Amino acid sequence: MRAPTGISELDAMLHGGLMRGDVTLVVGSAGTGKTTLGLQYLINGATKFNENGLYITFEEMPAQIYRDAASFGWDIRKLEAEGKLRVVCTSPPVLVQFVEQRNPIDAIIAEINAKRIVVDSISNLEHFIPASELRGELYRLVNHLKMKELTSIFTAESHEVFGNHLVVTGVGLSFLVDCIILLRIVEIQSTLKKALTVLKIRGSDHDKQLREFEITPQGIKITAPFAQYEGVLTGTPRMSFTEEAGRAWGEAFVRKRR
Amino acid sequence: MGTEIKAELLRLFHMNPGILDTVEGIARRVGRMSKNVETEISTLVELGVLRKERFGSLDVVSLNTSKDREIMKKVAALIEGGAKG
Repeated sequence: MRAPTGISELDAMLHGGLMRGDVTLVVGSAGTGKTTLGLQYLINGATKFNENGLYITFEEMPAQIYRDAASFGWDIRKLEAEGKLRVVCTSPPVLVQFVEQRNPIDAIIAEINAKRIVVDSISNLEHFIPASELRGELYRLVNHLKMKELTSIFTAESHEVFGNHLVVTGVGLSFLVDCIILLRIVEIQSTLKKALTVLKIRGSDHDKQLREFEITPQGIKITAPFAQYEGVLTGTPRMSFTEEAGRAWGEAFVRKRR
Repeated sequence: MGTEIKAELLRLFHMNPGILDTVEGIARRVGRMSKNVETEISTLVELGVLRKERFGSLDVVSLNTSKDREIMKKVAALIEGGAKG
């Protein structure tokens, strides 16, 4: 029923992992860790859960992906040689090219018996497909992957790095996908931190807290919720009233004792 | 010029064996115009180094991995032979 990401804290937030056969959108601005999360999902699938995976990249070249993955200790070339993972570098028109129900990537999916796929990033389709056709093409792609019983992650770029204007995607993709994970950079006490939250999962409950995460030498590590702050997602975090009141009370108490 | 582009294409596909793209997409990846790489890609397809498959309106080009391995073996043998000689 579930496809664990292998990132234990994220799986706990998702109540066990991604729903099998679903499409998940991972949204975030540049540098938030979308590619790392996608790769970690595939690496863990291939090495821990016996589920082979396919990584589709449009702009970043495979050689760069191999190099970046190696910095986390992930040997993608070895997994490719073992037939457990495949990195495919293509252009959006190829991904949405369907002829008699057949797509150019279908042969690779069949060849490695892929159960997981990451498309990084779906935002690239906007530059190649006319706006009037984009939603229809995305709908076709989502359903094609579902018919193949793949558990998919689409990454999408959010242009807003900071600020209180949050648009998940501009083409209504958030309605087509089953799950949305939001990655965001937030400023707290003059320090930039990374935040992650699960915005929705169709047909399942999930953790609704906004949690801090870091990109460590082992990959993504999710830590504590931003429990002491409100408004983190809007880009204007402030200490929550109870925390602020508690701190003021504590300081007053200390002053009085002095 | 043609040899230079062929060398760029060979290097591109060898370093990035997962490329599955149109001629236009491949041209962008080597920083060239489609018209400049089209003939060279066709030559490499004829030599069996690359594969070209028609999907509807698109020609999709990819590396013939078995041929790439064969070429690598030949290059290695040549280098080894040269070193011995």
